[in-house]
Amino acid sequence: MWDWEVKRKQRWFRLGIRELFHYKDLILRFSKRDLLAGYQQTLIGPLWIIIQPLLTTLTYVLIFSRVARIGTDGVPPLLFYLPGIILWNYFSECLNSTMNTFQHNAHIFNKVFFPRLTVPVSQVLTSSFRMMIQLLIFFIIYGIYMFNYDLSVNSATLLLPVSLLLCAGFALGAGLIISIATAKYKDLDAVVQFALRLFMFAAPVVYSSTIIPEEWKWLFWLNPLTPAIETVRYAFFGSPALSWSALLISMTSVMFLLVIGLVVFKRNEVRVMDTI
Amino acid sequence: MSDILIQAENISKRYRFGVLNANSMKEDLLLWWRRKRARQAAVDPKADSHFWALKDIGFEIRQGDVVGLIGKNGAGKSTLLKIISRITLPTSGVIRGKGRIASLLEVGTGFHPELTGRENILLNGSILGMTKKEIESRFDEIIDFSGVEAFLDTPVKRYSSGMYVRLAFSIAIHLDPDILILDEVLSVGDFDFQQKCLAKIEDISKKQGQTILFVSHNMQSVKSLCNTALYLEKGKLIAQGNVSSVVSKYLLRENVYVHGQKFTDKHGAPGNDVVRISEVEIRANNHAVSGPVDTQAELAFRVSFWKLGGGSSLIQVRITVINFLGEGVFSSISEEKYLPGGIAESICQVPGGFLAGGSYIVNFAILANYHQVLFEYNQGLSFEMKSSTEPLAGAGRWPVPVYPNFPFTLH
Repeated sequence: MWDWEVKRKQRWFRLGIRELFHYKDLILRFSKRDLLAGYQQTLIGPLWIIIQPLLTTLTYVLIFSRVARIGTDGVPPLLFYLPGIILWNYFSECLNSTMNTFQHNAHIFNKVFFPRLTVPVSQVLTSSFRMMIQLLIFFIIYGIYMFNYDLSVNSATLLLPVSLLLCAGFALGAGLIISIATAKYKDLDAVVQFALRLFMFAAPVVYSSTIIPEEWKWLFWLNPLTPAIETVRYAFFGSPALSWSALLISMTSVMFLLVIGLVVFKRNEVRVMDTI
Repeated sequence: MSDILIQAENISKRYRFGVLNANSMKEDLLLWWRRKRARQAAVDPKADSHFWALKDIGFEIRQGDVVGLIGKNGAGKSTLLKIISRITLPTSGVIRGKGRIASLLEVGTGFHPELTGRENILLNGSILGMTKKEIESRFDEIIDFSGVEAFLDTPVKRYSSGMYVRLAFSIAIHLDPDILILDEVLSVGDFDFQQKCLAKIEDISKKQGQTILFVSHNMQSVKSLCNTALYLEKGKLIAQGNVSSVVSKYLLRENVYVHGQKFTDKHGAPGNDVVRISEVEIRANNHAVSGPVDTQAELAFRVSFWKLGGGSSLIQVRITVINFLGEGVFSSISEEKYLPGGIAESICQVPGGFLAGGSYIVNFAILANYHQVLFEYNQGLSFEMKSSTEPLAGAGRWPVPVYPNFPFTLH
């Protein structure tokens, strides 16, 4: 007979997906806001979406390829780094924006009720939009390189959505859990930032997985970002390897993390408002 | 009997004082360590104390009710609204409800300064729970009511604060929820717009049967808008039910009368660079006042103030007496005098048998050169008049503010 109920004890297992669906307009609106407002009063506006990964790539080409001479499996360095950087950026942007959900929106959360999950989900959507544009640029550059180099695309390209979902799911699942923790402990933010910087080197962003010693490979491939990035590289460069088992394990673990993240978030989304 | 939309049972909310609100992990660990050691050592009882922002609140809101939520600052009004709005959880108790709630705890929540008025209408509407279709169908009404049409495509950071408030309020008032929650939103904006908003709220409540929960310190608007009221004091529900009896109870019980104030610190006293208030006092029959004043007693309103800065100017003092509903009763202005710097005193005498029974507030104003307001000291005094001879009307309040002894014969 009642539509809703507010009390201390909450059902412990709730994902809040149906609620989220009701608020799909709000999710889109938040994403649009972030995209529109982010580029107001800037010189070149949305061009930053393209320029940022290109500049990073050029820097990596210079440092890791030219100076440090880390191999790129015979792929032109510019082309080699780009997908890794795009996927890594996508992951870290999703994580960075979702983990501060409560800190950055406390003023709104304190005044209006709506499913809090709309905010991190819209952040992932915004990042996805930027990532898509960057991928488009990668395709164009890839196309240009095809004239001069012996490159061919294989059927693993069909796994591209899986790679992207791995990055987004990993970031969202972790981000949801961390957002609850940073709502209470603000300084955790700095810890996570530092860990994130180190974590980049634990994923094959600036190097190929082939340089990992055999005895550590199992651990290296447990990181969901490894199969995500290496699958894309395999699809476009035909090297180094496609590991179905690593993909399946990662999909399972990311799914698991995501469910835990949703439950933790849903359980605490109202409760943390007293501590923020 | 109409449908119950909200039912609250034994709602309590406990907050923690002090260090337990610590935000960094280091402080929390320290606290944990201190607690651990406290098993041997004596523990500071204050370090772990709580207070109840709300205690065992229970009420029902029916379809079509316009409920006024009243109480002093810190009585728990905002906490209660936050729990009903599902922003924070109660420590115990349960609230059940039907339908969609739209709460306007603040005007313009979620407005983005960089976005245009148009974008912000769409964004704010979605945050408040409207679907895209609903917003679009009411878009013209919202713009009409706000009167910012010419600035629709300007970023709201360029808006004046008045325009900002008008736009934000327009969105909220056109929400069409099942229950609308308003927290003191009318205390912003200019007077004209406030009147327009009150009229609009009255309109949607009376014509459309909108259910509203409304917080205000203005008893006049509570009385004119609401049919029932909840009165909170220190987290407890003191009275609920018929609006005029609850409001009367509030006014009587809070006993918020100030019969005199004295400021000894010349620099911290209310005022500005030109004038500072030193003392205000009400006297009845030349005695200090401590309770209700008989309507036949002669009243004296006394104010003394420091006139700072050099030069003498033509000074006057004006008093304005208003009732507790905020309506003006009368004003009176003193003779004018050139005053040098230093302390000055002004006394206004009101003959007995002028004011009717009821509660009143006195505002003081210091004027220079007939029209220039140097300083206004509002609500400096308040008091209650009681008639010992006349029968009382209503709940101890007269329907008229003055009841003077004019020459009035009967043959």
